[in-house]
Amino acid sequence: MASHAFEQHTGEVKVRLAAKNLGELFTEAARALSDLLGVGTEEPPSPWERITLTARDHEALLVGWLNELVARAEIDGRLVRDAMIHDLTSTRLDASIRGVPFRETRTAVKAATFHGLRITPDPHGVSATVILDV
Amino acid sequence: MIRAELIAPFEYQLVDEHQPLAARVFADATLIEAIMRDHSLQQLANVRALPGVYGDVYGMPDMHEGYGFPVGGVAATELPDGAISPGGIGFDINCGVRLMTSNLDRASFAPLRERIVHDISRTIPSGYGRGGRLALDDDALCRVLGSGCRELVTHLGFGIAEDLEVIESGGALEGADPTAVSVRALARGRDQLGTLGGGNHFVEVGAVDTIFDADAAHVLGLRADQITLIVHTGSRGLGHQVCSDYLALMDTAQARYGITLPDRQLACAPLSSPEGQRYFAAMRAAANFAFANRQLISHRVRAVFERHAHSPLRLVYDVGHNTAKLERHAGRELCVHRKGATRAFGPANPELPARYRRVGQPVFIPGSMGTASYVLLGTDAAEARSLASVCHGAGRVLSRGAAKRQVTGHALRKELEARGITVRCPSNAELAEEAPEAYKDIDRVVDVVVGAGLARKVARLVPLGVVKG
Repeated sequence: MASHAFEQHTGEVKVRLAAKNLGELFTEAARALSDLLGVGTEEPPSPWERITLTARDHEALLVGWLNELVARAEIDGRLVRDAMIHDLTSTRLDASIRGVPFRETRTAVKAATFHGLRITPDPHGVSATVILDV
Repeated sequence: MIRAELIAPFEYQLVDEHQPLAARVFADATLIEAIMRDHSLQQLANVRALPGVYGDVYGMPDMHEGYGFPVGGVAATELPDGAISPGGIGFDINCGVRLMTSNLDRASFAPLRERIVHDISRTIPSGYGRGGRLALDDDALCRVLGSGCRELVTHLGFGIAEDLEVIESGGALEGADPTAVSVRALARGRDQLGTLGGGNHFVEVGAVDTIFDADAAHVLGLRADQITLIVHTGSRGLGHQVCSDYLALMDTAQARYGITLPDRQLACAPLSSPEGQRYFAAMRAAANFAFANRQLISHRVRAVFERHAHSPLRLVYDVGHNTAKLERHAGRELCVHRKGATRAFGPANPELPARYRRVGQPVFIPGSMGTASYVLLGTDAAEARSLASVCHGAGRVLSRGAAKRQVTGHALRKELEARGITVRCPSNAELAEEAPEAYKDIDRVVDVVVGAGLARKVARLVPLGVVKG
């Protein structure tokens, strides 16, 4: 079962992510970001959109993934609640997302950062801690 | 384990085990204790690893943990091959503060307070995801990125020519290249000009409570009891995207230059490299967007004051606190990174506007919600002691979650109203995040920069109305 929790950071927001595998970690990261950004309406979600990202490793892909969702939320005014990971290698992410308009906005997230970010295997799967600039 | 040792009044040197490091923090005993509670000392020590770093790196008294650089950190790298690090500027490129003055005093403002603050809150979009009323097409947006406030004042009529004289760098950094800004960054910024955004950004109506230096106050056009206006915001989503884009680029590119760093968020490239040059051009374009954002907000607040009080608002100065700038210090050409730190040139610096050359560069240090703000002047001594830099605010001491556990927004709102401060904020939760308890004591922070000789006090302002982002 994937999970996320918000931890203390003096100036920003620290998110602790845990999941059975990398794909679930990425979908959980999307859920955590969504919880932080706001609340969606009950409207039917937008059609699925395909996203492909490339980066030099899993950590950079996770930062790129979150930043993709931050930018889309701001430009499209939609909160991404649903994400499907189709393929995830150490340098490439292929995913689909869909979202709903904001009913309520909460925290203005500027971007995800690399600071202290490491995706590590543990007995339950994988975990990571990401600091978001807010 | 990094620790701090007092080496001079209000000045600490970082020490690793018994090894002194080329890193200094300006603080007193109380502030250094607060600073040591998080990871900011280690973050400041890490900054020394930037290639080509020149001399000491500095932490300001409002320093707190950030990511990569601490917030309140200053570091210079030497040209031509010293590095430029997007994380050393931050996501909110050229976030900054401007101060304006009115011809109203407290007594004449009192009956207008609610109306004016309410009208500002209706006129200036604030909060996450709020777009503005000025949607620019790509050509117009690129002109703003290229020439900042000059485009707004000269071609769009948002302000007066006199404004340009009293904005840092004339409100337009040279060398800005809109083509270095991604399509996505343009999309994020397209409707955000003239908007506050969220977080700790605000428009604050205040009054001059104390004058410390009558001559300097006169030069700045400040008088006791005068109604003032502070605007604190930055480059919005456009700047955030520029930083994200180039961090990703440098994260990949730095290996080609043989750069390894203790923190990946410090990703950098030599300023002379194609990546460094392109980021610097994009960063300056985003900085121009931030100058223009504060200019448009000011233009609209001027209309509010005109409507309700027939009072013009005069711009005193506008200065950023998240930038990298090319400056000459100690005869060297340097790229000075200031992240949550304000440039504070003394009177000798030729870049100052003519009207401030006798006294020094105005610096504005806003306090936390409901507390005082300060007007300071840079000193020539600051050039040698801190690369002409001072703090940028009170500096957080509690996380947002901890602040909300200590204070409710409802109670804070009532307390501020009881003190005669009108507050407009999207939600009580966001208000609580910015409670005074979440920040260091602004009076103490300012006393440190003054005690260390980095700046001198001109005036203290108290808030009367706050529109929070």
